[in-house]
Amino acid sequence: MSTAAAGAIDHHHDPTTSTGIPNKKLLMWAFLASDCMFFGCLISTHLIYRLHPPPGVPAARDVFSIELTSFSTFILLMSSLMMALAVDAIQKGNVKSLRTSLLTTILFGSIFLGCQVYEFNNFVFEKHLTITNSILGSTFFTLTGTHGTHVAIGVLWLTLMYIRSFKPAGAEAARGTWLLLSFVHLVVFMATLGLSMYLVLHFARAAQAGGFGLHTCLHFGKVEYKAILGAIVGFLGVRWFALPRGPVDFDQRHAIDVEMMGLYWHFVDIVWIVIFTAVYLLEYIK
Amino acid sequence: MSTSAADADAHDHGPGENKFELFVQLAMLLAVITGIEIITVYLPFASWLLITTLVFFSAVKFLFVIFIFMHLRWDKPFCTILFFIGLFLGGGTMWALLKLFGAAASFPLSSAGM
Repeated sequence: MSTAAAGAIDHHHDPTTSTGIPNKKLLMWAFLASDCMFFGCLISTHLIYRLHPPPGVPAARDVFSIELTSFSTFILLMSSLMMALAVDAIQKGNVKSLRTSLLTTILFGSIFLGCQVYEFNNFVFEKHLTITNSILGSTFFTLTGTHGTHVAIGVLWLTLMYIRSFKPAGAEAARGTWLLLSFVHLVVFMATLGLSMYLVLHFARAAQAGGFGLHTCLHFGKVEYKAILGAIVGFLGVRWFALPRGPVDFDQRHAIDVEMMGLYWHFVDIVWIVIFTAVYLLEYIK
Repeated sequence: MSTSAADADAHDHGPGENKFELFVQLAMLLAVITGIEIITVYLPFASWLLITTLVFFSAVKFLFVIFIFMHLRWDKPFCTILFFIGLFLGGGTMWALLKLFGAAASFPLSSAGM
């Protein structure tokens, strides 16, 4: 489809629907409205039960790390920027820019998830705050875990959209081949992402225990060489799948799909804006 | 092929609008507000004042994201109405729960004499 012809697409209004709003967008706004109620209940439950931990269980302020949470918040804000740029790119028909923005959003989302895994690990094994040993732990892990699940679903959705953007024009004739290739692409991408997260988290733990130096790097490389090799092969695989192979069936007409996904991702960000204040910052006020 | 950046630049959304710059400026503003929020909690002021300030900053960030990043500013008002129905219901549920249960509700059962 030529971009010049598609340039007239109005991405905010659809005269073919009774509301004048694209149905997919309306569906997503209705879902997000319902998710507001869901998170509203979880946040208020945590606010009610955050005080008075039983003996032996630390108070929230002694457990939280404001530096790590602030970093996560900044990363999620930047991922929102990249998501907005991705939507802007596809609305202009710029698929290359869309892919770059999607990959950056996936990277930032994965960093956020990595920070959450590190935080949970730290809380459970070092600070002894578990989901069962206090009501504070139950409400905290339920709330932030539910938010983390939303982020993980978002990362998966972003990855699927990234892979979808490679669908070759005229692939309907060889639908089976395209589906199989996409599936392999997805597996390689997710395996690489998972391995990279595993390596970063383990390296952070090793650096925390032995200090950040050449000795730690060498020891880590020796212990984790299989995972490092796997990640390198994975990166090469992802790069191979991204090589240009002619025209693609992905343009401005698909902007509504990317925008829908963007709405979901921004929602995850605004929920975190509230959680950051209500759950974390509140604990630091004397 | 649909990836013509030259064509793309010719078709922006609103008249004379450059969303790229707007989005980048907004992201910087949000990062600055987040920094101010973090500093705020360490200021030696009354807690009610600090909490009010934090709630205000959160609301500002929230509104900026939904109206600009989520395009509510450019969409039909019905999207805003639909989302705010959910937001008010969620906020109302929060308010009701916080009214019904006080800080005493978090006492462990044994020490609460139950």
